Amino acid sequence: MRLSYPSNIKIIFIPCTGKVDLIHLLRAFEKGADGVYVAGCLEGECHYNRGNIRARKRVEQAQEILESVGIGGERVQMYNLSSSEAPRFVQIAKEMTEKIAALGPNPIKLASDRKAA
Amino acid sequence: MNINILTLSEVQDIKGEKGNFDVEILKHPRYVDMEKCIACGTCFEKCPKKVDDEYNENLIKRKAIYVPYSQAVPLKYVIDREACIYFKKGKCRACEKFCPTEAIKFDEKEETTTLKVGSVILAPGFQTFDPTRYEALHYGKHPNVVTSLEFERMLSSTGPNLGHLKRPSDDKEPKKIAWLQCVGSRDINRCDNSYCSAVCCMYAIKQAVISKEHSDDPLDAAIFFMDMRTFGKDYELYYNKAKEDYGVRFIRSRVPAIDPDPENNDLIIRYSDEGGVTHKEKFDMVVLSVGLEISKETVQFAKGLGISLDDHSFAATHPLKPAHTSVPGIYASGLFTGPKDIPYAVIEASAAACAASMDISDARGTEVETKATPEERNVAEEDPRIGVFVCNCGTNIGGVVDVPHVADYAATLPRVVHVDQNLFSCSQDTQEKIKEVITENRLNRIVVAACSPKTHEPLFQETIQACGLNRYLFEMANIRNQDSWVHGDDHAAATEKAKDLVRMAVARASLLKPLTGKTILVNKRALVIGGGVSGMTAALGLAEQGFEVVIVEKEPRLGGLALEIERTIEGADVKDFLQELIVRMNRHPRIQVLTESLIVGFSGFKGNFTTEVLVGPGMYERKIDHGAAILATGANEYAPKEFLYGENEQVLTQIQLSKRLHEQGAAGLAHLAMIQCVGSRNEESPNCSRICCQNAIKNALHVKKLNPDTQVYIFYRDIRTYGILEDYYREARRLGVRFFRYDRDAPPRVESMDHGLVLTFRDHVLQRDIRLPVDILALSAGLRAEDTEELSSILKLGRNHDGYFTEAHVKLRPVEMASEGIFVCGTAHGPKLISESLSQAMAAASRAATFLSQAEITLPVVTAKVDQEKCASCLVCVRSCPYDVPRINEEGVSDIDEALCHGCGICASECPAKVIELNLYEDDQILSKVEALLEGVI
Amino acid sequence: MTEAKSAHVSGSVLVVGGGIAGMQSALDLADSGYFVYLVEKSPSIGGVMPQLDKTFPTNDCSM
Repeated sequence: MRLSYPSNIKIIFIPCTGKVDLIHLLRAFEKGADGVYVAGCLEGECHYNRGNIRARKRVEQAQEILESVGIGGERVQMYNLSSSEAPRFVQIAKEMTEKIAALGPNPIKLASDRKAA
Repeated sequence: MNINILTLSEVQDIKGEKGNFDVEILKHPRYVDMEKCIACGTCFEKCPKKVDDEYNENLIKRKAIYVPYSQAVPLKYVIDREACIYFKKGKCRACEKFCPTEAIKFDEKEETTTLKVGSVILAPGFQTFDPTRYEALHYGKHPNVVTSLEFERMLSSTGPNLGHLKRPSDDKEPKKIAWLQCVGSRDINRCDNSYCSAVCCMYAIKQAVISKEHSDDPLDAAIFFMDMRTFGKDYELYYNKAKEDYGVRFIRSRVPAIDPDPENNDLIIRYSDEGGVTHKEKFDMVVLSVGLEISKETVQFAKGLGISLDDHSFAATHPLKPAHTSVPGIYASGLFTGPKDIPYAVIEASAAACAASMDISDARGTEVETKATPEERNVAEEDPRIGVFVCNCGTNIGGVVDVPHVADYAATLPRVVHVDQNLFSCSQDTQEKIKEVITENRLNRIVVAACSPKTHEPLFQETIQACGLNRYLFEMANIRNQDSWVHGDDHAAATEKAKDLVRMAVARASLLKPLTGKTILVNKRALVIGGGVSGMTAALGLAEQGFEVVIVEKEPRLGGLALEIERTIEGADVKDFLQELIVRMNRHPRIQVLTESLIVGFSGFKGNFTTEVLVGPGMYERKIDHGAAILATGANEYAPKEFLYGENEQVLTQIQLSKRLHEQGAAGLAHLAMIQCVGSRNEESPNCSRICCQNAIKNALHVKKLNPDTQVYIFYRDIRTYGILEDYYREARRLGVRFFRYDRDAPPRVESMDHGLVLTFRDHVLQRDIRLPVDILALSAGLRAEDTEELSSILKLGRNHDGYFTEAHVKLRPVEMASEGIFVCGTAHGPKLISESLSQAMAAASRAATFLSQAEITLPVVTAKVDQEKCASCLVCVRSCPYDVPRINEEGVSDIDEALCHGCGICASECPAKVIELNLYEDDQILSKVEALLEGVI
Repeated sequence: MTEAKSAHVSGSVLVVGGGIAGMQSALDLADSGYFVYLVEKSPSIGGVMPQLDKTFPTNDCSM
């Protein structure tokens, strides 16, 4: 449908959100990502039964860790949508971009910028 | 590969006989060269002519050159000759002028070809009923009266409103929507479709539920119906959920009329309830639940081939030969043989495939092509030499992204030794060029920056495979669908994103490893569990296609529940049919029958199972090796605890009544009452048993035939004579069978008096209790699944709460279990008629044959593997796998059988020691993309 | 089968109609060793199902 969404979103494909690992999420922040979200199938419709439920739990874990180290748990989110919901995909991309813009850059990046300066 | 899809084509004539037909095909021109069209959409943009879009039920416009919808197969444009300006006025040719691949062919002509085939399957489909002729419904005159298919498009996120619910007259979000059932079904007054369309109740409930989910404000959804026919597997649960959890209102009423409100765009529904009282209610919008019917063109087509049709223009089939048309060698499926829902259409399609294959199994494999792959180059020892191909996709990418800049950038990335840019990477000549470049530069990893891997990855993989590279040494960067198409308003940002995506792809490509799926030999024998009509039909379906079959039955004789059944409602003799089946089973050289046998052990995987069976009264143990298994364990009639059953001998089940009628006739039988839904649709067993309404009517019609003076009373909750069975319901009413509806909470009461049985019930029309002495009370006891608790634990199979086996997918894989190589049919899957069981049995045979006909199968490469040296045996993988695949082996460490693994990767991400990796998605492969994306940020 | 098979039988099958039923028949036969001609009168296969928004009871999307 070629609906436009913010170009700062880059997609990494995995076979099921159940494959998303805590280290994948945390490494992104370590390397300076401002936000990460996991887009999985609707709950109850996982092709592999409950991969997306596990993904949600891991996202929640990542939120706790990010919160406790001061990066902010809000920066990582889980969304559920079906492959036919292009407008919702766009809405989520915009929503996440706005949320992250409001939070500002990843504090790790700021710290490293300061060090460099 | 072995399907030639001929679109825009029609069968003109079929000559010849079973095994050898000559088919004349007329192919209409597309006016677009399928080889050249790359579906870029430029022609669509430039075409000046707008016409109604039939995919969207004409609610919006499309162009004269179009693809029907964005996921269409084949994804190639077509010119609508009737609308095209050039064809009408002789000038325009805008599409031709702008097409970047010169694919437009205005001079293409009709072509006729003749094909030689052994069997024919007809699945010409249906059309929805056109309600324009019902003046009282105002369809076509009032914008807010729509058909259910139009409403389906309105709900769809790919539809005219992008999934936002709006009513047509003023784009207002509706707050109250009504559905009117049976429009163009069960109606002989205003149309000729006397049958029930079988799907409308369910789709109306679905639409009501989804509308409620779509609405921002609470939506009032009301369904006006005569009988709610949610007879399918677990459909009653869906109905109950809609009522109880979603608050959809169900209003039982006579055929309503619609009055437009002259003040505004609202609609007033006028209806009378069961007691005859008239009500009026206002709605924002009305959806007509239109029925399904066979089109005039299909009727003409079928008649031309000499196919007999029934009174409703459906293909005439025999209940015990559900896939056979009147012409030998020509089979039918789907809506063509009668109204049905998606799962049954899919089941019948496989059944027809089984029948078609049985005729020509000697010629199996004679006309198919197999592809030889060249020997693979060993690149394990080589350092990565990456080639990057950046695609312009005409102007699709090149018009937004600065492709030369991206290509230059790619050349600077580590391990990239060659970069090219192409106008169209997917074109045939570019594929050849890519092959040359790979060989010349000894490339061993390939990155294509172009469109979606979903559509094009297999093409490029075949190309690299053709020059000796393993197909998994390939990576795509989607710089079209995920970049140029969605960031067209900012060329600079799109170019930067393209560079990011290429850098990520190159990083991952460096870490790719060659992967080869393990091949396993397939044991050609099938095991069928259960020797009723379904099991026997499945066994014969496979044996007559040339496969060996072992059938295991726990009783001393074959036959199952059908042994208790005399005739089908259509009058087909089940006893004779069963005898013939048993004789064929016992005589067939490829079938072994094991009666009084019990399954006690099961191991292995698709293609190679071993089942342990205790055979015969001596219980000697036998091990059977087989490649596939079919479950046909069946069901039984429920033994009622209600209505004095077992206490008073005048109370019978329908099966007992049917036997009694065959043995003793109906002489002297003055009053016969029947109670429906005994042991179904209640707290203990919430689902509908599907077959009981027609069973009751079958026996009622039999009684009326034997003794027209017998008074027959049927107490029901909803009469569910779906499809053509509706004819028998109408016939029963015509013959004076009387139907009284009761509510679930107020069933008829039965008392055993000195002078006999007395029934007390509430008459809804008269609004008072009536006492009725009866000679026989027949209970429509539902079906209960055979006890398969032990079997399902031995085979590790899922069952629903009613004890029926759970298929892999309700709609798309209705005869397969989630474990590959295991299939299900008949009443083991859910309650169904004999004819439906036979279809499903043949379908199971067909699906099993797709498996058994292969010499070997290649397992998928995306599977999990354990680094066993480091495994701490913590059992996390064992517990987290959705399919119970990981096992702790003799060495005490986790073992994942790649033949059983589904490749979801859940175990890999759960493993606390990080010693499980999923092929193709190894942690360092995923992390390489994360790190490449964020390169230089910190 | 009791009746004698004719000397030469074709190993191809014609399927008329490219909706879900026709497609399923075609796939079964092609996967079990026959060549299939799938004849569809419209420009693309799929039939009515692609027009449906979601399907009951799972509410899966129909694509």
